[in-house]
Amino acid sequence: MRVFQMQRISAIALLFFLTIHMVVTHYPPGHIDFERIIVRMGDPLWKAIDIAFLFFVLMHALTGAYAVLLDWEKVAAYRRPLAIAAVAIGLVAFIYGAATIWAFQPAAQAALP
Amino acid sequence: MYKSTGFISFLARRITGVGLVLYLFIHMWVIGSALGGPAAFDERLAMVQGPLFTFLEVLLLAAVIYHTVDGIRLLIVHYFRVTEYRKSLFYATLATTGILFVAGAIPLLIFMFQEL
Repeated sequence: MRVFQMQRISAIALLFFLTIHMVVTHYPPGHIDFERIIVRMGDPLWKAIDIAFLFFVLMHALTGAYAVLLDWEKVAAYRRPLAIAAVAIGLVAFIYGAATIWAFQPAAQAALP
Repeated sequence: MYKSTGFISFLARRITGVGLVLYLFIHMWVIGSALGGPAAFDERLAMVQGPLFTFLEVLLLAAVIYHTVDGIRLLIVHYFRVTEYRKSLFYATLATTGILFVAGAIPLLIFMFQEL
């Protein structure tokens, strides 16, 4: 799959996922803490939605950054190492992000004072 | 060339895009505190909340909305062969961004002043 195709597909997916994220998490604006987040994130379906969101947002961000860097003449010669770095960063960030989403367990809330 | 709407939109898309990539990783680091438990999460979240951060969120909102609406414009140009309306579509992007930004920023600003 070509980079611009990955950007297009992830862009279309993000129209859906980002809208949900903004409406559900950030509106109406308010103080955010574990107690507020766990109401939604305690539901496995929301975890799945957020993991899909994470996947597409990383795909979009990294293919975008890759494309921007390749526009820079001096960097364009390093196309392959850049692509490998983007995939590596994407994998690490996805695992970190998915573990973060998984950490929102209702049982953990009991540890709060 | 440097005053054409095509160049301006190209530049604005790149600037907002790079800004949003940087923000994404900061956002992930903040939320990643949940790995240390609810108390660690609440502590780090408290660090990035308050009137100043709400104001920065207003700027972030502008970048998110512009980048999104401009992305929709690009999809329209790519899939619907409307190249002759490119300029109009760019102005429509600005207008739509403006309307959505005002609608999204008002609740944030109200919240910001309540926090002061």
